[in-house]
Amino acid sequence: MKREFATFLLLAVLCGIVTALNPRFMSPANLQNTARLIGAFGIFSLGLGLVIITGGIDLSVGSALALLGVLLSIMLTEWHLAWPLAVLAVIALGAVLGAFHGLLITRLGLQPFIVTLCGLLLYRGLARFIADDETKGFGDAAGFQTLQRLATGSVLHVPTPFVALALSSAVMWIVLHRSVYGRHLFATGRNETAARYSGVNAHRVIVSAYIILGLLTGIAAIVFAFYTNSISPSSHGSFFELYGIAAAVLGGCSLRGGEGSIVGILLGTTLLQVLQNLVNLLGIPSSLNFAVMGGVILIGVVGDQALQRRGTQLVA
Amino acid sequence: MSLKRAAALMFATLVILSGCAREGTSTKRLAFITNNAADFWTIARKGTEKADAELADVTVEFRLGDGTAAAQKRIVDDLLAKGVDGIAISPVDPANQTAMLNDAAKQALVFTHDSDAPDSKRECYVGTDNVAAGRQAGELIKEALPQGGRIALFVGKLDARNAQERLQGIKDAIAGTRIDIIDVRTDDTDQVRAKANVSEMLVSHPDIGALVGLWSYNGPAILNAVRDAGKIGQVKIIAFDEDDETLTGVKGGAIVATVVQQPFEFGYQSVTFLEKALKGDRSGIPASKQVFIPTVVIRQNNVDEFRTKLAQLRGR
Repeated sequence: MKREFATFLLLAVLCGIVTALNPRFMSPANLQNTARLIGAFGIFSLGLGLVIITGGIDLSVGSALALLGVLLSIMLTEWHLAWPLAVLAVIALGAVLGAFHGLLITRLGLQPFIVTLCGLLLYRGLARFIADDETKGFGDAAGFQTLQRLATGSVLHVPTPFVALALSSAVMWIVLHRSVYGRHLFATGRNETAARYSGVNAHRVIVSAYIILGLLTGIAAIVFAFYTNSISPSSHGSFFELYGIAAAVLGGCSLRGGEGSIVGILLGTTLLQVLQNLVNLLGIPSSLNFAVMGGVILIGVVGDQALQRRGTQLVA
Repeated sequence: MSLKRAAALMFATLVILSGCAREGTSTKRLAFITNNAADFWTIARKGTEKADAELADVTVEFRLGDGTAAAQKRIVDDLLAKGVDGIAISPVDPANQTAMLNDAAKQALVFTHDSDAPDSKRECYVGTDNVAAGRQAGELIKEALPQGGRIALFVGKLDARNAQERLQGIKDAIAGTRIDIIDVRTDDTDQVRAKANVSEMLVSHPDIGALVGLWSYNGPAILNAVRDAGKIGQVKIIAFDEDDETLTGVKGGAIVATVVQQPFEFGYQSVTFLEKALKGDRSGIPASKQVFIPTVVIRQNNVDEFRTKLAQLRGR
């Protein structure tokens, strides 16, 4: 819990400073904007965190968001599918992609990095090819206004993506921290061989983690598609997997596997979005956007390391 | 002995074949290379196809870049190896691609289009005068804010030449008025960030008078963010290029106007000028070596006509 606490502390301090410098940070409009983005990025970050806990990685999330977004637009505006059907298809396809990664990794013994790097290239290319290198959109949303309202609207002033994140987090929290499956997931991530000797079906655990990530990527793809309302296949979602990976690691997931928590991933996602928000709110030049993000994360990680070292010295 | 003979035979065949390639075809092989994959280029492609169909003695190859200088170098090298006679290219990074363009100019006739590399040995530039386009946008801003006011600009990357030139044109046009550019926000072509930038600008500067999008996707990003904030009509929007959503916004009155380029003419004029120049006829090329294709202002009153024309060009 220590790592999560450090991230929480960093987040709280940052929010305090930004509010002092620009009180509009806490205005309802800004909180809604930021909550919407936290929701969108958080949904797939949860899945990516899960995969990282098993000791894996997924680099293909951003490209998958583009491919699924393009397909969603085509299904709704060109094939005129009923929207619940299109939504199910997108989420199912996300799961299929996840299963595909998981099976390649477990059955053929390939490295997750390579498998999903190929996914990154493959899905981006497919998205561009299917869209014929044209931006896909939703026009006037004729026939699926309900879906558009669901994806972009609010429930009691809380943006729906954030509500979706809250619901998925609750489910994932139970799955990860209160179920046998969750135990198996951590065991597999910490030491796959040991887990297998203890009777854990490690392969099934790994494949299922990628499938869960795929499902969540499908949901996120719908949210992002309606957020931008147009999907440019060559740039949509580009590098978004890095936000997920950074959120998970900031929240205490170890890239070696076996460590992490849902609360941590949520804190990490929030921190990343608040960092981008404060750059705009404080009028820091856009050119410094990534530098601010990198700098603050580094401070957080260094601080955390120092705290931990002091902790172990005290114990010793 | 037989090995040597085989080698000699192969060599002879090669000589004959290459001879055929050079003499046998009096048709000139031209290539049109883009900087990236975008709708814009779909229209330019129609222009090259029209010229290709009209001119009996050329064949035109159309190649899409991926936004990097490396990809363009690979494409140009491939084309030169195939013995192309003329190249029209939109350099991604003109300042640092000068050497590449000069090398290519030793073997083929090189034009630049869309973005110029004036320091290279390119024969001619065909494209937009982005400073003039910026001035047109500046006039639109003055019209939208006759009393003056504060405006913000949004663009993908500010180090891109066209972004700099459009910004310069806007500054020229509003010089001496009571219009203030308070900020230029960049998004690195991440459309989620593009929209978030606008939402956050509306929070941090509620009194903003107008928002200007310098790249094609910035128009829809601004429109969607302003709509979400419930400020349509209250905040004036001026855009560039002809994204579907931008045009819908112009038609509905949410966007004051958009300044569009004529990519069809880029394609058509590049090919026709290349063909003439290869025959030794350089009469159409001005002393400045720049053929400017004027930009056009699309407002509510001419948007329908423009859309019809666009649909024809895109073959939809």
